[in-house]
This record gives sequence, C-alpha cells and structure tokens, in this order.
Amino acid sequence: MTAVNVPDKPKINYLNCDKTIKSWLLTLDHKRIGIMYLISTLTAFFIGGMLAEVIRTQLLVPKGLIFHATKHMSSFAAYKHYNQVFTLHGIIMVFMVLIPIIVASLGNLVIPLLLGAKDVAFPRLNLMSFYLYVAGAAMAIISTIAGAVDTGWTFYTPFSIQSETYVCWMVGGIVLIGFSSIFTGINFIVTIHKMRPPGMTWFRMPLFLWGIYATSIIQVAATPVIGVTLLLLILERTMHIGFFNAALGGSPVLFQDFFWFYSHPAVYIMILPAMAIISEIVPTFSRKHIFGYEFIAFSSLAIALIGFLVWGHHMFVNGQSAELDTIFSLLTFLVAVPSAVKVFNWLATMYKGAIKLDTPMLYALSFIILFTVGGLTGVVLGCIAEDVVLHDTYFVVGHFHYVMFGGTIIAFLGGLHYWWPKFTGKMYNETMGRITCVLLFIGVNVTFFPQLIVGAEGMPRRYASYLPQYQPYMIASTVGAYIQLVAFLMMAGYLLHSIFRGKKAPDNPWGGATLEWTTASPPSHYNFDDTPLVIEDCYDYSNVKYDESIGGYVRTDVPPKTEPATPPEMTPAHT
Amino acid sequence: MMSIDAFSPMLTQVFAHPLLGSYGLPNSDSTFGPKIQFLWNFWFWVSVFFTVLITGLAVFFSIKYRFRKGVREVADPSADHNTPLEITWSIIPLIIMMVMFALGFKYYMDMEQPPSGCYNIGVLAWKWHWQFTYPDGATTSTLYMPVDTPVKFSMTSKDVLHGFWIPDLSIQRDVIPGRTMTVWVKAIHTGHFKLQCAEYCGDGHSEMLANVEVLPIPEFKKKLAQAADIWVHNGKILPLHVVGKKIAELEGCLGCHSVNGARGTGPTWKNLAGSHVKLASGHTATADYAYLRQAILYPGRKMVAGFSNVMPNYYTDFGGAAHKKHRKLDALIWYINTLSKHASKASRPPVPDHPGKSKASKTTSNSSGKKSAKMGTSAAMANKKLPAAALPMVAVGKKLYASMGCIACHTVNGQAGVGPTWKNLAGYPVKLTNGKTVAADYKFLRFMILYPGKKVVAGFQPIMPSYSSALAGTKNVKKLDSLIWYINSLSDKASASTEPPTK
Repeated sequence: MTAVNVPDKPKINYLNCDKTIKSWLLTLDHKRIGIMYLISTLTAFFIGGMLAEVIRTQLLVPKGLIFHATKHMSSFAAYKHYNQVFTLHGIIMVFMVLIPIIVASLGNLVIPLLLGAKDVAFPRLNLMSFYLYVAGAAMAIISTIAGAVDTGWTFYTPFSIQSETYVCWMVGGIVLIGFSSIFTGINFIVTIHKMRPPGMTWFRMPLFLWGIYATSIIQVAATPVIGVTLLLLILERTMHIGFFNAALGGSPVLFQDFFWFYSHPAVYIMILPAMAIISEIVPTFSRKHIFGYEFIAFSSLAIALIGFLVWGHHMFVNGQSAELDTIFSLLTFLVAVPSAVKVFNWLATMYKGAIKLDTPMLYALSFIILFTVGGLTGVVLGCIAEDVVLHDTYFVVGHFHYVMFGGTIIAFLGGLHYWWPKFTGKMYNETMGRITCVLLFIGVNVTFFPQLIVGAEGMPRRYASYLPQYQPYMIASTVGAYIQLVAFLMMAGYLLHSIFRGKKAPDNPWGGATLEWTTASPPSHYNFDDTPLVIEDCYDYSNVKYDESIGGYVRTDVPPKTEPATPPEMTPAHT
Repeated sequence: MMSIDAFSPMLTQVFAHPLLGSYGLPNSDSTFGPKIQFLWNFWFWVSVFFTVLITGLAVFFSIKYRFRKGVREVADPSADHNTPLEITWSIIPLIIMMVMFALGFKYYMDMEQPPSGCYNIGVLAWKWHWQFTYPDGATTSTLYMPVDTPVKFSMTSKDVLHGFWIPDLSIQRDVIPGRTMTVWVKAIHTGHFKLQCAEYCGDGHSEMLANVEVLPIPEFKKKLAQAADIWVHNGKILPLHVVGKKIAELEGCLGCHSVNGARGTGPTWKNLAGSHVKLASGHTATADYAYLRQAILYPGRKMVAGFSNVMPNYYTDFGGAAHKKHRKLDALIWYINTLSKHASKASRPPVPDHPGKSKASKTTSNSSGKKSAKMGTSAAMANKKLPAAALPMVAVGKKLYASMGCIACHTVNGQAGVGPTWKNLAGYPVKLTNGKTVAADYKFLRFMILYPGKKVVAGFQPIMPSYSSALAGTKNVKKLDSLIWYINSLSDKASASTEPPTK
C-alpha cells in the first residue's frame, strides 16, 4: 500500500483545491457531497433535537407546561400544537436524520476511501441524490410553515386523510427524500460491486462495506413501497378514491400494512450501518483482528432479508388474524438472533486485545450497552401476549429511542469522531470528547429508561397531557433530555474549535489497517495517488506501529506492489 | 404445545419466588394478569442476565486488557474465529427466543378466544369520547363491568382509529371505523380503573379517557337500571335541563364546549343562549331556539367566527324519523339555556322544563313505566302487542344482537350510533340516501341486514359488513327472523307487515 504523504508535494486536498461556492454546490466529489450531507443532516438533527426538548419540557407537568388551556385557547387547541411538534420531531428524525445520517453522509465520505477508489460509481447520481434530499426538505419546510402536519410520523389513515394540515406537501417531500435514498442505495451497491481494488475479494472487504451493502439492498427494495403508499395517500386526500376509506369500500388498515412494509425494513436501514461502524471501531481500538468476520458479514445480510418479513409486528392489536400475528412474532424472534451474534463477536474481539479507550471506542462501548437494552426491550414487544399490554405505550417509545438514539446516533457519533481527523485533517480535544461521551451515555439512560417503566405502567404514547401518577418518570426523562442537550452543546463546541484551532491530524491517528488510513488527512481530490493492491487482511494490526515523530501510526511492512503508477489526472473520476 | 405445558409449571414455580417477583409491570386485575406477569418476569430476568453479562464483559475487558504504554501495546495472540463457539452463542439465544415465542403464542391464543356465555358490551368511539351500550338498552359514558364475568366488547369508531386500552385489565385493541373489533376480558377484582385511548386520534387524544368501574353484579345491575332511562330518576320524571346535562355528558359535547366560558374547540355554552353570535360569514346571528337547533343538527352550515368546522354530525342522534318531537334536542337546549344570562323566551324550547307542569304529563298515569313509554324513550320493550309465540324468538334475537356485534353500531334506546338505532325502527318511514322514503317492513329489514350497502339510510355511511354468510340461506332463516322479531319488539309501530311471517 502507498506510504504516507510525500513531504515535498504541496498540501492540496479536496477541501482547498477549489474554493468557489460553485465548486461546492456542483461538486461531483463524494467527499464534498458527504460534507454537504453531513451539514444538512446535522442541521435537521439540531431542529429535531430542539423539538424533542420542547416535547420533554411540555411533559414536565400533567396538564402540559408549554401547550395548555389558557384564557384564549382551549386545551385541545393547545394540544394540537403539541401534536404538531411531536409529528415534526418524528418526521425530521426518521426521514431526514436517521436514514441518511450514516449511509449518505459518513458513507459518502468514506466508502470510496475504504475501497481505494477515486469516487463512487455514479458521481452525478450522487449529487442528484443530495439535491433530491434538499428538495424534499424544502417541501417539508413549506408544509410546516403553511400548516404543520399533526398526523404523527406514521400518517395513519383515516386521520391523515381528514387532517386539515398540509399533509400532501409533507408527504410529497418524503417521497422525494425516498428517491434520494433509492439513488444512494443503487450507487453504493454498484460501487461496492465494481470498484473494489485489485486483490480485495468480498471477504477481504472491511465490514463497514458489508453493512452498507446490506443497507443499500433494503433501500433499493423497500423505499419504492413507501413512495407508492404516500402517493396513494395524496390521491386519497385530493380525489377521495377510497383505498383507505371504509365508507368507499377501502380499508384503513391497508395503509398500515403498506407503511410498515417499508418502515420496518427502514429500521434496519438505520441500524445496520450503525453496527457496521462498530465493527470498524472495535478492532482498531482493541488492536486485534475482528472476531468471526464471516458471521458478522452474513448476519448483516440475514438481518436485511428477515427484516423484510416482520412488518406485521407493528399491528398485533389492530385485528389482523391470529395466524398472521403468530408468523410475524416468530420471524421477529428470529431476527433478534443475528443481532445478538454481533454483540458477542464484538466482545470476543475485545478479549485479549490492547484496548485504547479513545472517544470513538467509548462510543462503541456505549453502543454495545445501549443497543443491548434496546434489543432486549424489542424482544418482549415481539412476544404477542406481552405486546397487548405494551403496544402504543411509552415502553415502545423507550425501546425505539434506545435503538435509534442509543444505537444509530451513538454509532454515528462514534464514526464521526473516528473519521473526523481523516476528512477535516484536524484533531479534536480528546479529553472533551471522552467527557462528552460519558455525559451523553448518562443522558440517554436518564431520558429513556424512565420511559420504559412508565410505559409498562400503562401510559400511552403521543399524549400531550397525562394522569398525575406518571409525573415522576416524566420529570426524570426530561432531566435526561437536558443532560443530552448540554452534551451536544459541548460537542458542537469542541468540534468547531478543532476545525479552526485544532491540532493537525496525522494520516493514521488511531492505527486503523483499512485503506482510508493510507492516504493523506484530509485526502487529495483523487483520494489516492495510486490504485492500491490489497493482498492482506484489513484487520491485521501487526504491521501498524505508532511513530512518535508523526504522532500517528505508520505501516512498518514493505508496501505491496502497486498497480503501475498512473497519475490520477490521467484517469479522472469525473469527466 | 404439550412440551410447553410440561415446561411452564416448572418455570412458573421458579418465577413465583418473591425475589424474582414482578418488576415494572403493575398487577393486573383480569384473568390474563398472571400469565402476562409470568412471561414478563421470564423476559425480565433473561434481559437482566444478558445486560449484566454484556455490560460486565465490556467493562471487564476494557480494564483488564487496556492499552498500557510499554506494558501492553499489542494484543495477545488469539483466534480470530471459532466456529463451534459462534454456533453455540447463536443457538442459545435462538432457544430462548423460541421459548418466549411459544409462551407468547400460547397465552395469546387464550386471550384471542372469548369463552361462550360472555356478557356483551358495545363500544363506540369518536373524537374524543367513549360511549358504551349494554344489551338492556342503557348507554353510558362510564364503562360499567360486572366482576367475575367474561365480558366481550364489540367496538367500532365513528371517525378515525382509536385504541381501547385498560392497563389494569391487560386488554388493548384498536378501534377501527368500518369494522367491528372484538376483545374480551374477565375482571377478577372490583375497582375503579382508567380507559385510555392508545391510538393517536388528534387534538383531544390525551384526554380521551373513560372511567371504568368493575362492580359486583347486583350493583352493576342497579347502575344499568339507572342509566337505562335518562328521563327518570328514582321513579321521578326529571326536569328537561337535568336530562339535557346528562345528554351533554353522554354525547361528549363537553369535550369541546365548555360551560364556564373557557375557549374550547367549539364555542363555550356559557352565556350562549340569547346572545349575539358573530358568524364566519360576517353576519351576526341571535342564538335563539331555532339557531341552537340548527347548530346542533347541521353543524357547519353556519360557522361561528374563529372556529373551524370539526363538529361531528349529530343529526342522527337528535333528528331522524323516529324522534319527531326532538325531545332530547329540547332537553339539551334547555340545559344550554340554564347556562346563559341572556336566555329568554326566544332562546328556550317551546316545551316547559318541568314536565309535571305540562298538560300532557297530567293526562298520563302516574306509573313511570307508562310515562317513559309515552315519551318513547324507555329501553323496555315498547311493543306489547307481539304474539306470545314470538317471545322466545325475541329473546333469541336479543342474544344475537349482543353476541354478533350488532351492539357496536346499533343502540336499542334511541341513541344514534354508527348505524340507525333499532328503537322505533320497524314500521316507521326511513329516508334513504337515494332520496326515497320507505317503510321499514319485514322485507326491508331483511334486505338491509343481508345486503348492507345496497341501500343506505340517510345520514349514515355505507360501512356495515355483510352478514349474508352468517344469516342468509334457509338454515339461518330462524336466526335472521329472531333478529327481526327483536327489532319489532323495540318498536311501537310493529305490525303484521313488519313481523316475520309465522306459518
């Protein structure tokens, strides 16, 4: 593999090679598109997060602290605003944050680097994905300003047909974001198939790529269903056709089947890339080969495939037949097994390692613990008899926040800290990073664990007001949300600081053995000077040694023979 | 499922130990409780075990194998995979999962199948109110349940999805418009519980609660007898405004209309009657009797400025051919008048508040039963002229009414549901959506039950499921006739043309 930066070359990288605004907006460079995705999804995350703080603040008192009856407004009219807030929180977090935040932003940044490639297979399609996402977000903003949707992110009929808010605009925006997701999926499938470097067989791929590959399959196969479903909803609202209207011979429940046929696999769009990040971080910081590579790779595919067949477990109490309940319950239990296998594999990777508890590793450990809680609470929900007493309660809210926040977001933050030096070229303050991670871990548990308890006691979800006996748990949960807010503000502080004042990052600060660490930080426009030749395992750390003089790791072995060196300008990625 | 049966007593014993008792899930007062609790405990301890194991190992490895400069810079040599080990830790979770699946499945099957001989209660949900109908004709907004009796609920919704969720009785089921959803439960203790709407339904979702009272059977019967006749209390005829207040509670009016001047989803009723109302059209109207009547029967025709058109249509509850006198409407308007300082003769209904002072009531006898019969409100059988031979059929029809789920949509006391009430239906003229008015004779009733949706009564949606598989054909003719006999027994205009043929 190629050596570290040749010192006499000018330090031109993808960030400073062209500084015009146009060069950013019309870029075909996967790294720049990744950065734009990152900024967009983090902006959405900020808005969704602030909405979450509003929700938690509202629920401090049983009758609502922010939205409640006043002289000029009835309680119901006030609660409508609360409903709009939680609906927006859900829509933003699911469609604009959780789905693209790892695949589209971190994926774009690192997938070609992990492959030793110059770019993704279809750079223009990649840019189009990004602008579809932006257009979808713009429609969502228009809908919100005109009359914020109050249907819940699930858009259940017939409520979403009868709602007087701007459902069509919001739904149209989500359809566009769906296309963005499909195009990204196609792009990554082709990239992983066609652009692996010489020598990188399927089973020499970093596990991150396996995770992204499984995710992309779901994106391509499942997302069209939500597009069609939401278009049907638009037709229903505008032309009263009657797909979901009992009075016209349709069925309100049909919508739920369509919706979850996408939205359950979508959960795996969110969690598989998260697991994929953990599979990169744990071996690097344990300085030890990943344990059970093939089991982890195949479990990603197993989760992706079985994940298509469990959507009915969202509908155990809506009157679907007992036979269906049984089958969906069985498949749900089956899908839990490959997830458990991954957790054990990560632990076995740490066994007898030389573990460095840097920030990314702390996030990985947080992920393992939080995801365990999230997964186990999911198991009891998959159990039909138990679901009857937990369905649509805060237990469900607690469960999916453990998975989505404790899983996806925590893993994303791990990945962000892991690859931050690579794509910014700067190191963040490690101490601040560690403190923030611990604080966030505490915040997540204080927020979501009380929700599990109050849900088991019977409090339904999506309540703007609640019975007084639930208040202690609600207060605890709100305190947790404030702790998270502090942690995120700290994180924003030290990350921004690192961009402007941070120490320069070495090419390989953590000692990773995958290809992205063999190029410069930040990489040049073409990523690699030469196409790498992969002859060894990407989890073999025996030849990656720390070098005091650089402050980072270097390879001590003789770089393997490379392809005949052709200047990258001669084989451009973008023509 | 023999293996589970053999397996579960052992597990039950283990998890019955006080130290392994219930954490998290509150005690349930229904027969489902112990099973759900047992399975919860099983899951709970499995989860605690794995959470402690995984967290413990993660922390232990992080400390024991931590990177130490000069001491431990590289990992110890160890295998990078071990297939038997990996298969083992795949199989063990798989076995635990299958045990939980099997137990969940088995218990769920018990919960799915209602035993025979259930007491039937109809549940009607709409934004944001619950209404309960009992086989004897009472309608209440508090759910009364007999203790130690299996109760089957037949449920439907007028508008959007709702969720019937009583945490203390461990039952939950979605309530879906256009479908009759059923769920059953047997409460083992008396007590006061809360029914909470679990499926998001809009502005008032979090306030869509109902009180649930599980009562000893005699007390339960007393409550129902009181609720059955809203016009009478302890044998005394109530003033109309008192009845109006009951109606306001029963119909859920007070969810949107306050009586203390607070702004609601709809205009407050305080000082409404007789006042000047600003309309969205820019005009000003006086809230007199005619205005109030129209506002209730045809909401949306004249919108009050500053409110949106969200009031459900109450036409069928107060209008309709069987209620020409609109006594319920008058009662409600009397109640609204008592809340207003502007109330005047023009805003009050033309009938007196206290029936005792009216001429009509003086001419009736003192028996409250007869009075109610005259008012056409009693839930008791209105038709005394049925042939004696028909009485067993009526009894069968009444049972079918409750057990087949008719009770979810059709009341027998004049209260409107999702479908027309059966009170005073047979023999009365019925207006259809195609503009025709037809007499509800035997043929018509038969047709409407077997082919719902072909003809639809004005003011209702064509959402009744077909019962032809259960009721059509010669072998089912007795069932069908029994139902129609029962409908006849509820009408004071039943005649030979409305009764099933006897030969």
